[in-house]
Amino acid sequence: MRIERELMRGAGPVTVLRLLRQREMYGYQLVQSLSSRADGVLAMGQSTLYPLLYSLEAKGLIKGQWRELPSGRKRKYYGLTAKGKARLKAEQAQWRRLLRAMTSLGLLDPSRLEP
Amino acid sequence: MSDPDLDRLELEHLALRRGLPREIASAIGRMVSRAGLMPARRDEVLEELIAHFEDGLASGRPPAELLAAFGDASLAPPPPALPFPVPRRGDRIVPRLIQDLRYAARRLRASPGFTLVAVLSLALGLGATTAVFSLINAVILRPTSVAAPERVVDIYETSKAYPYNATTNPDLADLRRGTTRVFSEVAGTRFTMAQVTRDGGVSRVMGEVVTGSYFPLLQIAPALGRLLGPEDDVAPGAHAVVVLGNGYWHRAFAADPAVVGKTIQLNGRAYSIVGVVREDYQGNTRGVVPDFYAPMMMVNQLSPGNTDVLQARGEHGLFAKARLRPGATLAGARAAATGVAAELKRQGIDDWVNGTSFTILPTADVIIFPGVDRMLYPVAGFLLTIVGLVLLVVCANLASFLLARGLDRRKEIAVRLALGATRQRLLSQLLTETVLLGLLGGAGGLLFATLIARVLTTTNLPLPVPLTLDLTLDGRVLLFATAVSLAAGALFGLVPALRTSNPRIASTLRDESAGGGQRGRLAMRHGLVVAQIAASLVLLIAAGLFVRSMRAVEAVDPGFGREPSGILEVVFPPSRYADASALLAERELAGRIRRLPGVTAVGMIDNLPLNLLNQQDTELGLPGVVAPEGQGGVTADYAVVDTGYFAAAGVRLLEGRDFGPGDGADAPGVAIVNQQLARRLWLGKRAVGQRVTRGKRILEVVGVVATTKIRSLGEDPRTGVYVALAQAGASGLWYVARTTGDAEQTASAMLRAAQDLDPELIPIAVRSMDRHLGVVRLPMRMAALVVTALAMLAVVLAAIGLYGTVSYAVAQRTREVGIRLALGADSPAMVRMLMGGGVRLVAWGSLTGLALSLLLARLISRLLFGVGAFDPATFVAVPVLLLVVASVAAWLPARRASRVAPTEALRAEG
Repeated sequence: MRIERELMRGAGPVTVLRLLRQREMYGYQLVQSLSSRADGVLAMGQSTLYPLLYSLEAKGLIKGQWRELPSGRKRKYYGLTAKGKARLKAEQAQWRRLLRAMTSLGLLDPSRLEP
Repeated sequence: MSDPDLDRLELEHLALRRGLPREIASAIGRMVSRAGLMPARRDEVLEELIAHFEDGLASGRPPAELLAAFGDASLAPPPPALPFPVPRRGDRIVPRLIQDLRYAARRLRASPGFTLVAVLSLALGLGATTAVFSLINAVILRPTSVAAPERVVDIYETSKAYPYNATTNPDLADLRRGTTRVFSEVAGTRFTMAQVTRDGGVSRVMGEVVTGSYFPLLQIAPALGRLLGPEDDVAPGAHAVVVLGNGYWHRAFAADPAVVGKTIQLNGRAYSIVGVVREDYQGNTRGVVPDFYAPMMMVNQLSPGNTDVLQARGEHGLFAKARLRPGATLAGARAAATGVAAELKRQGIDDWVNGTSFTILPTADVIIFPGVDRMLYPVAGFLLTIVGLVLLVVCANLASFLLARGLDRRKEIAVRLALGATRQRLLSQLLTETVLLGLLGGAGGLLFATLIARVLTTTNLPLPVPLTLDLTLDGRVLLFATAVSLAAGALFGLVPALRTSNPRIASTLRDESAGGGQRGRLAMRHGLVVAQIAASLVLLIAAGLFVRSMRAVEAVDPGFGREPSGILEVVFPPSRYADASALLAERELAGRIRRLPGVTAVGMIDNLPLNLLNQQDTELGLPGVVAPEGQGGVTADYAVVDTGYFAAAGVRLLEGRDFGPGDGADAPGVAIVNQQLARRLWLGKRAVGQRVTRGKRILEVVGVVATTKIRSLGEDPRTGVYVALAQAGASGLWYVARTTGDAEQTASAMLRAAQDLDPELIPIAVRSMDRHLGVVRLPMRMAALVVTALAMLAVVLAAIGLYGTVSYAVAQRTREVGIRLALGADSPAMVRMLMGGGVRLVAWGSLTGLALSLLLARLISRLLFGVGAFDPATFVAVPVLLLVVASVAAWLPARRASRVAPTEALRAEG
């Protein structure tokens, strides 16, 4: 199931930041993680992932670096910057507040979050 | 094939080469080319996408599935974090300005190379402009320190030969008596040189002798002590007092506040210092700042000469000024002066019989001297034109560069327009940047101008009088420099800013290689190159004309002094040498000089030709011929010479003989005339044996010599007459010693010989003949040097501009070149194709420049010498030279492009 474009626009950046907090990844790895870990829900159109990465990079939240794989091929690894970490923290707090608010409104039932 | 298609195909080609299936490669090509990225960024995105699909394929998924999962959205990056202020409506002006300035400073720091080159070239252009303006400021604009200057007038004597002649002391006295109803004061001032003995050292200083009414007329205050007054100007030789010039007080007395009451030795006599003038009083004549002011009554002591300056009607060296009485008008003053002239004529006084009159001009209308002023405005206009053209070339260069850079900024501008910035706001930001550059360049220019001023004021030019120009950067110069810097910044920034911020052009965010904007931009750059070439050509032609004039000046044969010789001008003080002993001592010195090593001939003359300070003439008549009413006899330049002068100076004797031992004081009067005078008086007849009258004396012509240049190199042959030293006497003499050795050393040896003979002799000039003649050649040499230097600067800048433009145009076409080369075109054909545009620009620029040069040449024709304003050699050779330089500038980038391997060229950004 795909999520509406507008909602995705807000969730996309924080999702990418969250994934990159664990380890540095290159584009295809991010695509894989998104589709496997978020059950495909957050598998945004892959073509939008790259512009999103460029945008985060331009804002200084993540930083890309070309590295050579053992195979000799080069991949651009993205990692979180200090600024990115701070932003992730702030966004997580916002998402938490949003979740709480939506829960209290009865839009969300924590007990039913698990499938 | 349009550019975007080329782009896409090339990207696809690159992806294919990496082993991706065609459908994926084609999708990548489409997506990346559509994103419209800058080259470096584009390559990175391409790499990343290739990597993405490689990984996908490696995981075993079919291409179609990968493409479906990827989607087909734009890869254009969303707006980056903004490194520039986002303008909003309603911002306050001052904070906005500060914001703009900060941003501009940041951008300039970000590209230090460009900033450095821009500031340096602006500093050169603005420095030259500022230096010229400070010169004009010093000479023309600086106001007088005289009180109520509008009531002060200058008075000259006007005759047929001299429209504005300085007056004489007796004439001034008559004028004063006859104009008491209109003038409250009538005063005169005259230059003098004096020898100062201080602390055992001897130096020569420049001063002015002034009448007692001079300082009261000016109504200025002293810095120290008092100024001179009528009580200091009563009896000849009786008032040994001086007032010091402010500069000299600083230089020689370290601004000693207790200087008043001390004495100073001038020409061996103690003068007591009674005061110091204020710093803002710089003497009567701009550019010549006196070191001291002494009473007119001391003129014969300070400038010992052959005549009594206080009494002689022929000693025209007095600059007269007068102050109008309250209620008196200029017309009234002129009428009164005309009355005085008529009375002098009625009395039958020498100069006035021929209808000489007084000319009265408001002092405010006179800059230096009416005869000189006529040249000042053309010279000032020409100098400003020259530096203005250099500045124009500098600005065109920068504008052209900014246009190219504006291309790189299109994205930024588009984003900002999209974010709601108004065009005015963007314009103001872009202009702030260039104006800041202009101001930085202006600051550099001020430094540069100060440097030029220092060089100008410290260089020891071979001038007859020490020139002192106050080139300090006063408020007016600073204001000018700031205004010109701002204007330059706006000038070279406006066109690029207008284009860059044009929403129609800037909005082509996606389509990097859209044609329209580019073409306009290119046309603009082409226009700038044409302007640069045209301005350079004008400058080069001016330089060519001045170099040719300099050559012409140097080719003029003055008619004397061709051989290396030393020159010594020396005064035998009349107080120590009475008539007979003077001649003995003068000949004794000549004898000693003749015995110096290397000296082959020695001669003496009281007024060496081409000596700008002291020009004398006399009126000659023919015995028994009465000149008609209103006409005197023949006016001829006049000099006193001793036997041997003509031989030593190399003046050819054409007929008759030189003066000899037989032409003593008691012998019949004799004269030698030059060929011009001989023709004038006795055309076709033999001159030797003829007689002329000079005053009451009758002189027999004993010889005819070749006509030399007397007052200037450019003059038509002037009539001249020479009389014998033994018969006329002179206490100031120029010794000319022809030498086989070094002329400068000979001159020094001559000075030592004079000091050995009598330490009280007053040496006035010690130099080689070359240096003496250098004085009259100096203006043209300076003009040629300065104009050539500026023209070279402009040509180099224009060549850089052309090189940049052709490089840019070539870069635009590199891919085309690659394709053509791949299709088999040869390299020379490519060079021709790429150069073609540049050469066309040069041709247009040259044509425009030629047309402008014709205008300028007309303007400067009066400043040239011996060469027509439309000198064909200059007008042919200079454009050819420029064409060669410009062709090289266009050829270099073209050749480089034509040597690129086709594969490289195909990869290049379109």
